[in-house]
Amino acid sequence: MIAGYAPTPVAARMENHGSSMLKVAMQTGQDLFARTGSMIAYEGFVQYEPNPPAVRQMASAWLTGESTPLMKCSGDGLLYLADYGADVVCLNLDNESVSVNGTNLLAFDAHLQWGVERVKGLAKFAGQGLFNVGVSGNGWVAITSRGTPIVVDCGSGADETYVDPDALVAWSSGLKMKAKRSFKASSLIGRGSGEAFQIGFSGQGFVVVQPSEDSTDRLRVRG
Amino acid sequence: MGEGRTMAREFQRGHKAKISDLTAGTDLYVGVQISAPGLTFDISCFGLDADEKLSDDRYFVFFNQPKSPEESIQLLGAQAGDAESFRVTLDRIPAAVQRLSFTATIDGDGQMSQIAPGYIRLVAGGEEVARYAFSGAEFSTERAVMLADIYLKDVWRFAAVGQGFDGGLAALLRNFGGEVAEDEPAAEPPAPQSAPGFAPPSGPAPGFAPPAGGPTPPPAPAPAPAPSFGGPVAPPQPAPDRSGFTPPPGAGGLDIHHAPTMVGPLATPPGQAPPFGQVPPPAAPPGPGMTPPPFPGQPGPPGASAPGNPFAQQPPPGYPQPGAPANYGLPSMPAQGPGLAVGMQKYREAPTGQRWTQQNPKMMRADLSQAGGQPVLARQGSMVLYQGKVDFGYKGAGFTGRIVGNMTGQEMQLMRCTGNGQVFFAENASYLHPVELQGDALCVSAENVLAFDESLQHEVRRIEGHGIPGGALFTMQFQGTGTVIVKTHGTPVVLPVTPTTYADSNAIVAWSAAAQVIVSSQVRLRRSAYPGHSGETVNLQFRGAPGNFIVVQPYEV
Repeated sequence: MIAGYAPTPVAARMENHGSSMLKVAMQTGQDLFARTGSMIAYEGFVQYEPNPPAVRQMASAWLTGESTPLMKCSGDGLLYLADYGADVVCLNLDNESVSVNGTNLLAFDAHLQWGVERVKGLAKFAGQGLFNVGVSGNGWVAITSRGTPIVVDCGSGADETYVDPDALVAWSSGLKMKAKRSFKASSLIGRGSGEAFQIGFSGQGFVVVQPSEDSTDRLRVRG
Repeated sequence: MGEGRTMAREFQRGHKAKISDLTAGTDLYVGVQISAPGLTFDISCFGLDADEKLSDDRYFVFFNQPKSPEESIQLLGAQAGDAESFRVTLDRIPAAVQRLSFTATIDGDGQMSQIAPGYIRLVAGGEEVARYAFSGAEFSTERAVMLADIYLKDVWRFAAVGQGFDGGLAALLRNFGGEVAEDEPAAEPPAPQSAPGFAPPSGPAPGFAPPAGGPTPPPAPAPAPAPSFGGPVAPPQPAPDRSGFTPPPGAGGLDIHHAPTMVGPLATPPGQAPPFGQVPPPAAPPGPGMTPPPFPGQPGPPGASAPGNPFAQQPPPGYPQPGAPANYGLPSMPAQGPGLAVGMQKYREAPTGQRWTQQNPKMMRADLSQAGGQPVLARQGSMVLYQGKVDFGYKGAGFTGRIVGNMTGQEMQLMRCTGNGQVFFAENASYLHPVELQGDALCVSAENVLAFDESLQHEVRRIEGHGIPGGALFTMQFQGTGTVIVKTHGTPVVLPVTPTTYADSNAIVAWSAAAQVIVSSQVRLRRSAYPGHSGETVNLQFRGAPGNFIVVQPYEV
């Protein structure tokens, strides 16, 4: 039993260990930003900077006064990250860009370009934690999903793709977004708590959704 | 027409007048008085478009939604002798909204003929300028009445409507109903109509004030942004928009002081290739099966690669020899990986073609255009994504007797998905299981129903028993041809029904209602307390002909 779960040899900068653990091969000079509190183990010399000024500045929209949601990890070794059992997906960006719902971002290479984006018209979601982080460049990003995610192509025909904001994980940055309310007003009677809002995507690209409407930011909630 | 500034004009049903003839103000107070012994009324305002449809449900101002987005229509509550009141700021109403219909509906049973004399009145600047009085004699069995309209026809006008309507609020909504289409209208510009800038009241144009005449001078309505109603509205604050990427400002050097404390012996001076794994544990040979994890990235330590060792991929116990530099890095690691598309590949959507397609154990896609385009009923909130033209309508409130178990407010609200497109369903990362019925019958605990084809006959049953949370177990029985999506927490077990088959009522997911067995007689409630248990658990016993089965999940709700 013990043997069966030993780490596999490193083959890439970021890899899955099982479905919900991320293994990052750290090297000096290749720093990493990771969600504060997501570290579960490390081997070797890895140092953590919990409140990097770069992040503080960048992620002010994300902040509510406490510490930043990202820490900077540097050094040599193997770093293991997880987010309360959520599935982890490693993505390699090859001069591509992706937008990730802040809650679903686990880690990314520090040399990538990134920024906190606000989606126009979706400001009202901000209170629910819907802000997203755009990451682009050449490198690795790890995202989390409650349950195995599904990637759906957006650009098929004139039909747009509509997503429940709580299930939204990530999307390709080029897509156009807008808020939509597709339900009849009768849903307002008796406290319609269902699908009152969706985010509509149009354009060429993909959308990643998780099979859960649980968008709680556990790392943040529990510190 | 009327110089009605000093005296309210009395309107009769059908009368109309320009509001500018009633008052120079555009900031109006609308008060409604309607009452009947033992009845409660919902008084609402529908902001309709030029086709008299509610094309934007945010302009349906009612108890659950007390104001329109830019607050041009606000529900203020009872005050100054009125059972309900509104504030309407005409020059802030967006151009798309052309008619405000004020309605009263009876909440529950009752009919409009029962109502006592009531009125709807228009007040500007604290003075009543128009009043339409009505009484129960004008109505019969209607349950709703459209009282009056404020509508735009060249200029804003007021009309006393007084038209009864048979259904309740929901029917009224349906009457005005219409798909709500678009996203937020960007902060509404002031209506382009000859709005003379409300703030400086030119001449005697009265500012907004609720009418005087209550027992106490009416306080300024609560939720207003500022006490001075006459003032112009502050434009929405531009949110500091920080879209686009900004390259991170030069990462401030690594602050070593933040580095967490490391295990003692590891503290070698930085910069030097550190020997990993200090001294091997004292008892050198670890027990069988307890081999310490090998160190990955290790370029084949000497004496490695003994075949048949427990680590499939890795040479045995390699703690690096003391002094050997640990090699964490990946000198041979490909600089560039496969790119986004490859990383996403295994999560791609499954190809279309079937009515129900399982995307992964936790997500299901329904293609509404398949199987004759029949609708799908799904638990509210279970849609995570859809593509195409899909309409969602709520079932629930009006559906009470059948779907809802109202004992403790525990209810299951369904939505009806119609149209032409694909809808992805999932809930709370539960495992989903499509069960295709071909004339069979299946009972599913209501909590475990995610979605089903509307073609299936379904009915709700209650299994009562002390100790069941909420007093009863609600199950849905499905019959006919179609698919039910059942959700479970964890991997369920399917047991054949034998003479001694029991299940915890909290863990039961579904059972076959096959053949002649009826659920209520099939299930016998037993109370049984386990040692140390509160005794609240209810077990269900199942009986049936061979071939019946039950499904139980490893999770007690």
